[in-house]
Amino acid sequence: MRALVLFLLIGLGTSFSQSGQASVEAHVGRGTRLMQDNLFEAAAAEFEQAVAANPQDPRAHFQFAVCLLALGRNDEARRQFEQVQKLAGDSRYLEYYLGRLDLLSNDYGAAIRRLGSVAENPPFPDTAFHLGVAYVSAGDVITGIKWLERAAKLSPNDYRIHYRLGRAYSSAGRDQEAARELDLYTRLRDEHKNNEKDVRDCAGALQNQPLPAAREVCHRMFDPNDPEKLTLLAQLYGDSGAFDDALDPLKRAVQLDPKSFDAWHNLGVTYFRLQQYAKAREPLERAVALRPEFYGSVVLLGATLYMLGDDDAALPVLEKAHRLNPSDAQTAQVLEQLRAKQQKK
Amino acid sequence: MNRRNFLRVLTAACATGAGISRAQESGMASRGVKPQPRGKLSGLPFHAHFTDVAAHAGLRAPVIYGPPDRMDYILESMGCGVAFLDYDNDGWLDIFLLSGTRREGPVEGATNRLYKNNRDGTFTDVTEKAGLTRQGWACGVTIGDYNNDGFDDIFISGWPQNTLYRNNGDGTFTDVTEKAGLLHAGNRWGTGCTWVDYDRDGRLDLFVSNYLVFDFDKIPPTGKDPRCDYKGVPVNCGPRGLIPERPMLYHNNGDGTFTDVTAHSGVGSVPPGFGLTAVAADLDGDGWQEIYVACDSTPSLLFHNRGDGTFAELGLQSGLAVNEDGSEQAGMGIAIGDFDLDGRLDALKTHFAEDTVALYRNTGHLGFDDVTMRSGLGVETRYVSWGDGIVDLDNDGLPDLFWVTGSVFPEVERKHPEFPHKSPRVLFRNLGNGRFEELLEEAGAAIAEPHASRGVAFGDFDNDGDLDILIMNMNEPPSLLRNDVSGSGHWLKVKLVGTRSNQSAIGAVVTLSYSGHKQAQAVMAASSYLSSGDRRLHFGLGAAEAADLEIAWPNGTRETFKGAPSNHLITIKEGSGIVARERFGS
Repeated sequence: MRALVLFLLIGLGTSFSQSGQASVEAHVGRGTRLMQDNLFEAAAAEFEQAVAANPQDPRAHFQFAVCLLALGRNDEARRQFEQVQKLAGDSRYLEYYLGRLDLLSNDYGAAIRRLGSVAENPPFPDTAFHLGVAYVSAGDVITGIKWLERAAKLSPNDYRIHYRLGRAYSSAGRDQEAARELDLYTRLRDEHKNNEKDVRDCAGALQNQPLPAAREVCHRMFDPNDPEKLTLLAQLYGDSGAFDDALDPLKRAVQLDPKSFDAWHNLGVTYFRLQQYAKAREPLERAVALRPEFYGSVVLLGATLYMLGDDDAALPVLEKAHRLNPSDAQTAQVLEQLRAKQQKK
Repeated sequence: MNRRNFLRVLTAACATGAGISRAQESGMASRGVKPQPRGKLSGLPFHAHFTDVAAHAGLRAPVIYGPPDRMDYILESMGCGVAFLDYDNDGWLDIFLLSGTRREGPVEGATNRLYKNNRDGTFTDVTEKAGLTRQGWACGVTIGDYNNDGFDDIFISGWPQNTLYRNNGDGTFTDVTEKAGLLHAGNRWGTGCTWVDYDRDGRLDLFVSNYLVFDFDKIPPTGKDPRCDYKGVPVNCGPRGLIPERPMLYHNNGDGTFTDVTAHSGVGSVPPGFGLTAVAADLDGDGWQEIYVACDSTPSLLFHNRGDGTFAELGLQSGLAVNEDGSEQAGMGIAIGDFDLDGRLDALKTHFAEDTVALYRNTGHLGFDDVTMRSGLGVETRYVSWGDGIVDLDNDGLPDLFWVTGSVFPEVERKHPEFPHKSPRVLFRNLGNGRFEELLEEAGAAIAEPHASRGVAFGDFDNDGDLDILIMNMNEPPSLLRNDVSGSGHWLKVKLVGTRSNQSAIGAVVTLSYSGHKQAQAVMAASSYLSSGDRRLHFGLGAAEAADLEIAWPNGTRETFKGAPSNHLITIKEGSGIVARERFGS
């Protein structure tokens, strides 16, 4: 969900009216952050205020709709998506979300039409999964299997897809394939549970044991080929203040997955916390490029530039951070100082 | 603000952590599901009205189960089942209540209890006279005539041993556990149990699920293990983190003894799990009964009967093991019924708080679709849910959904009032279009009344043509919810007596056709949560004044009957047709 929200912020573009623009941006920024923390109710309140501040802004309606969908308030979500459609016209994203809502309301025919219309050029990788589920639910198991197979290729480690595919094979009487998929599902599900256990053990060890002993426990999480796991391991180290230990996993993670926002952001934060500002700059720039609306990365990049003495570069970045989170008094104070300095030049 | 100060502020504000999920190692599986918003109510009248008449009926003794204000061990938190049975064959339902005890020692009056129906709305405690006085940790109960002598026997699961009581036919019972070969070695925690004639030899066999390896001396009590925590409050440990168990199957030898066929039948070859309620019914219509086991935080099990004395575990293939996302849930109770009136048996499984129940629609060929969210049940996620039923409570011809609730962590409500120890009953009315709506106030104060409940049995104790509800409440007297149905809905009750099949007809499926609907019901020896209900099948008929019946007997034969009149109890003897018609009720 986190990735989707921010991706859509870029994808849809913006059409702010001048009046209320700052307010909309602030509410959307806060709402986005709240969604990233899974605080959907609070996020919905922010997006609702954004919509109220500028009812003609499709981005506010869109974000509100995505949030409502996450809350299971499906009828309201549909109304907001339809409002976006009125204001900004059709898009692949709208077809995707409306198709998912059709699926949730058991309107399989409509779900197949909508999701099918964007499946060859899908807005999100799970489009094939939802389309497959729609076909299976509609009774067309053969076509459903085709799309679920495609979904499994796109997300080979998602146990939910293999579960659905296994059940679809079973319904079609393809017992050997069903057994294979359900075995795979079981293995992936077990791995997922083991990973959760490793995370709990590592976090517990970092909390309760000396660092050398905790390192031994946490080493179980070190998978040199899994960027997500490496990032998670680094986050655990970071949470406990062991920033030196976070560096290697994060460096490996960004090598493995240069498009991982989490990895770049955390690498930047880690260097920042180690006061290695010159090294923090590039990872934070990469993070901001990947998620320009994420306040945490933007403000840290601004702060890094400020700490490096590059005030000219810091000013616009901190201005953006302030737009994203106007309640940050410290940033406002620094901005005032920087602006005053600029005026003196 | 200088650069150093700004740095300090940011350093405090920007942690590297990004919402790491730290699910509990111990505790029960819960998805942290937020409820769906409640839509507008249909506004249709609901004709069932429930009143708790337990005290008036004489059911005043509390069911002791652990300490009243805390649950230090998981054994103290799981509670037990209840049963409706007619032990003296007088045509009126009697009541059997299980009981627990307390770790610190025997509690006066804590015993399983048998109450005889006085046929006037009251009951008499005949426990002692019947020879059923017993104190211990009873869990599940299944009722059936295992020796085909015409009288219902009682099997009780529990910790550390199970018990079989043979009905002597004179109002007394004899503990024949050891003689029957059902005394197992060592301590085990038997939970779900059900009679099932899995090999169609006309004799009831016995399936028992086991929960976990329990020992007061080896499992830390509340507060002693920091991992045993719920919402930041120390709680009792388990089931996760404890050692799961496998179920057992016993074959009835026909001479009063049983043989353990767990290994031979394939039942013992499944991975260990936290097994709770077990139900037996022919779910795929092939004439052989399956066994479905609700497992707590491990995938639930579906044993498909191969018809050759062995079973294949097909939980995942069937869709009954996990929810539609492929995640296991904290399975507690199971109800079997036909909510969508397509003549196939569907299933309802209850779970932990912050999760939904799971409603599985039978799509045929042992395939089930999880239709929980699309049927409107996602609005209710607040409570830990236990005994349940797919039962037509208002006689409108559409089976409704009912379950009871109650926390396993009474300590939590002090910090989090939103997780109360005692919570209301839950009733969803069937709207007839594949959807349900929750009735919060419309079915009487007894539904909204909060208790920490576990087992539930459904049956017509006052023979007035509707379904009443018997409920186990932890450390309180039970609830007996008398149903007073108004409106003009008709009904039909069907009692089956096996001849070639087992005498109790357990395993039979009756399919009723009325008003263009086709509703299937199974004769079961156990369901809900560790409980056993009225074996007289109750069908609400709505406006229909007659119905056609098709009976699939447990031994595989089928019989049909046309035009059975409504508002009657009909008794059908296998091979002899309708042998009795009794008109009762309003």
